[in-house]
Amino acid sequence: MNADSPRSGLAPSRPQTDPRLERLLSHPALWRAGAAARAPVWPSGFASLDEGLPGGGWPRSGLIEILPARFGQGELQLMLPALAALTARPEARWCVWVKPPLQPFAPALASSGMTLTRVLIVRATDRGRRPAALWAFEQALGSGACDSVLTWARHAPVRQLRRLQLAAQRGNALGILFRPRESARESSPAMLRVALEPRRGGARVTLLKSRGGTLGALDLTWEAIRREPLEAS
Amino acid sequence: MRAPRTIDLFAPADLPARSAPRPAVQPVAPRALPPRAIQPSRAPLWLGVHVPELSGPGQPGTSRALLVLAARAQRFTPRVSLAPPDGVLLEVRSSLHLFGGVEGLCAALLGECAELKRTVTLAFAPTPLAALVGTRAQRPFRVLDAAQLTGSLAPVPVTALRWPQETIERLACLGVRTIGQVLRLPRAGFAQRFGTMRLTDLDRLVGRASDPRERFEAPARFRRRRELSYESASHAQLAAALRPLLAELGDFLTARQCGVLALECLFWHRRHAPTRCELRLGEPQADAQRLAQLLDERLRTLALPEPVRACELRAGLPVARRLHSAGLWQPGERGGRAEASGIELIERLRVRLGEEAIETLQLVPDHRPEAAWCRAAPGASAAAASAPPPQDGPDAQGALRTAPRPLWLLPVPRRLPQHGGLPRYRGTLHLEGEPERIETGWWDGRDVARDYYNARDVHGRRLWLYRERERPHRWFLHGVYG
Repeated sequence: MNADSPRSGLAPSRPQTDPRLERLLSHPALWRAGAAARAPVWPSGFASLDEGLPGGGWPRSGLIEILPARFGQGELQLMLPALAALTARPEARWCVWVKPPLQPFAPALASSGMTLTRVLIVRATDRGRRPAALWAFEQALGSGACDSVLTWARHAPVRQLRRLQLAAQRGNALGILFRPRESARESSPAMLRVALEPRRGGARVTLLKSRGGTLGALDLTWEAIRREPLEAS
Repeated sequence: MRAPRTIDLFAPADLPARSAPRPAVQPVAPRALPPRAIQPSRAPLWLGVHVPELSGPGQPGTSRALLVLAARAQRFTPRVSLAPPDGVLLEVRSSLHLFGGVEGLCAALLGECAELKRTVTLAFAPTPLAALVGTRAQRPFRVLDAAQLTGSLAPVPVTALRWPQETIERLACLGVRTIGQVLRLPRAGFAQRFGTMRLTDLDRLVGRASDPRERFEAPARFRRRRELSYESASHAQLAAALRPLLAELGDFLTARQCGVLALECLFWHRRHAPTRCELRLGEPQADAQRLAQLLDERLRTLALPEPVRACELRAGLPVARRLHSAGLWQPGERGGRAEASGIELIERLRVRLGEEAIETLQLVPDHRPEAAWCRAAPGASAAAASAPPPQDGPDAQGALRTAPRPLWLLPVPRRLPQHGGLPRYRGTLHLEGEPERIETGWWDGRDVARDYYNARDVHGRRLWLYRERERPHRWFLHGVYG
């Protein structure tokens, strides 16, 4: 199968099942209640995480929330394999970082496989009432020029999040919103909400909300990153 | 051979009259030209203008000052031609009677030049090349009659022709220093020694060969003003008022197959000075709708001191536009490109957030963390990326091979308090692994001498710290692994 083509959303994928059953289940006339997330995905780069995510990876278009207890506990490391693979494709669109809290360190990004020419940093300073960062985030998501858009926000009203989700679907982009763990109490229209706690050499990832997938926690180690190009030649 | 179409303007004047000393250089028989194609009264008269300030080896081809001068010169005649780097030619035969003859014309033109604060020398001649040579002749040169041209040119030094230095030197070896002496050389031998190009120059100089000159046309710019029927301060109403002007601009640019890179809006008030609103674009743009969208974003952030009574749209110089063909694939798909929408996004963000708000990152092969990267404007880095990477040391993207680096860098290293010689950051820090020494940069005055450590804080975050090698051995936080 072409790694770039949309994966069918069997969540979680079961490699040990009977191939005849697989064939029967993949019949287009058959609709399964659990397969609501038949959306195309990008592999996350972690085999164990892909199994737990609906469809077997991060959604290609839509808003996801990453909720670490504190900034810098591995939330960027979690997304980095997917982002790097996205920017490395020949037809890559922009990977936009809206108002990053610190300076993204270019040598580290490059050594983890990011193509820096596809990375765009937006330094938004708030003017007036509308927060500039969320405005720029929405513009980038809806423009159709971006594969992935990242931003860091403390407060985001639900109405605003719903607009962001719609913009992401319009622009066929993956919106990644990093928020503090406390915001898990608020409701959100995001497709995925992932909480993150640091572990030695890795992190514990908890799926708090997973549209069409299973909830639960799993431990990841950063050494387990699969480096494989998204493009199968 | 047929007579050139520019005959009534640029064709050679009559041959020197019989009274003039017949040059030894035999003229080419004007075979193709009808014997009396040009009426003597209609024979062209060229006015050469020489700006000594603009001549010199370091001058660009056609300077802005020359364009300004040429635009001014169009007041006297529509037939203006540029002779870069320092000359302008005017065909003034039919303008003479309008400006009071040669004297009046000279006075008027010198007045214009004085307004531009330029000192110029003028010369009149029946051929354009002779007019240019005459301006460089160091003395008044006014030849109104073609019959006197050869005689008047005779004492002018050869250097005024601006031939290559080597040619001038070889002529000097032959003892030839004036144009008169050159004209007396035998044609065949001259062509053999110095090339037919030089012989053509001589023919053009005395009017034996036609010398077509490109006509100067001042670049057209778009500028429209619109009075509002009511005073308004609402940005939606102003945007609506500007829309027809933008549509006109779109038509103007489409007709010329051009785009603009800059746009300026002026809003006139009752008492205050007009408010300016500038728009700069990433690539030449001619689409009125797109310009309206960008201008709309800009207007939202514009502060108006007073209601607006009139608005004016001024476009920058039209520049050639590259047209993109639409792709078959959707952006982001296999084979699809998102260049056009990418530029659109960058422009929209720039208009709202400022020019410097959008940037890409670039690697610099340097071991100092703060010098190992730099900011670049989007698009600029694409050109840099296509350059081949250096052969040794850095990898394909130009990064040095180093130990793992943190994903986040603090813009300014943060001083950490110490307790018993060890750093603290919101609690105790556990140092991990061996330190990495970075000691470099002595050549540019920003040298560093540091020992970098990885550390883990009480929240489980991995941090990147350094300890200065020099006393008092202070500790700093420089990065977060993220």
